[in-house]
Amino acid sequence: MDIRTIIAGVFLGIGCFFIIVTAIGIVRFPDFYSRLHPAGKADTIGQALVLIGLMVYEGFSLISVKLLIIVIFIFIASPTATHAVAQAAFLKGVAPWKKKKRDKK
Amino acid sequence: MIDVMLLLIIVVCAIFALFMKDLLSATIILGIYSFIMATIFTRLNAVDVAFTEASVGAGITSVLMIAALSRTKRYEYHYTKLQRRKPSALFLKVISLLLVIITGAVLVYGTIDMPEFGDPEAPANKHVSPRYIAESEHETSEKNIVTAVLAGYRGYDTLGETTVIFTAGICVILLLRRRINT
Amino acid sequence: MFDIAAVAVTIAIMITMYRAIKGPTIYDRVLAGNAIGTKTVILLVLIGFVHDRPHFLDLAVVYPLINFIATIAFLKYREMGRLD
Repeated sequence: MDIRTIIAGVFLGIGCFFIIVTAIGIVRFPDFYSRLHPAGKADTIGQALVLIGLMVYEGFSLISVKLLIIVIFIFIASPTATHAVAQAAFLKGVAPWKKKKRDKK
Repeated sequence: MIDVMLLLIIVVCAIFALFMKDLLSATIILGIYSFIMATIFTRLNAVDVAFTEASVGAGITSVLMIAALSRTKRYEYHYTKLQRRKPSALFLKVISLLLVIITGAVLVYGTIDMPEFGDPEAPANKHVSPRYIAESEHETSEKNIVTAVLAGYRGYDTLGETTVIFTAGICVILLLRRRINT
Repeated sequence: MFDIAAVAVTIAIMITMYRAIKGPTIYDRVLAGNAIGTKTVILLVLIGFVHDRPHFLDLAVVYPLINFIATIAFLKYREMGRLD
């Protein structure tokens, strides 16, 4: 086995872990503002790791340059979109979540 | 495996887009639907169709639907129970259900005659494609075969399509133009 | 290797679909839609590598752009109440 393939596999594995954690986080977190955290940060890093793994697998060529362009664009666009969603929600008055007292166990 | 999962997501998207009372949410879910659909097209090796589906389905259509919703109301009209029990409403429901079933049956009937996916004996692969591959560069002096077919052999067709899209663009600009508040 | 990663990304999309359908507010749905759109880019790149046809990447470059435009248009509508 090539060393480059192994490195690419490790990157892909960590990236897929991040992506699945993102999905679980988006489903499980209690309110909108806490859901912004997985969608804005973990998602971006997971995708970047997967694409970097593919870049390592591919070596230096036009394809890896295109992958680099995608990584840069996602790094700019995804947090911007998340920030815009948060701002719109805040201006429209979506209430943040607070820990409820346990009245009914 | 991926194909089955993607098709499952498509079905779930379609069903829940139907049941949404909030039309904005339905628009978002239809955007997701278009993205997954484009991925399926890519899986079937039809990259240009996927390109069109992604840009038209997910990009333009959602923007246009949002524009339409900004001029109308966001929620579906909610019928009262009395209105729903009226005989005319029931009659409309039955008629529309029948229409949908008949249209679907006709479409399914149309697919029966089609050759299997990727069949080398299909008429499209046997007669048309070899001619395009052999002759297109000589006849249209264009190296890319897809471009040769779209802009050379089907030139008038493409001209008509472009006219339609241009008209649609002008209509959209007219609808969305800035109005002076009175 | 690539197909396992593609299946993992598809499972992630399926999990995120739950929030897109259920989401109590409209912003939850936008967030889930945005996340699904960016995951689709990864899925597309991985499918290109599975088929050994990496020129699918041209499509993957355009995808996040479309996703971004749709999200921003939606939010502009929600903030201004109109699109013009």
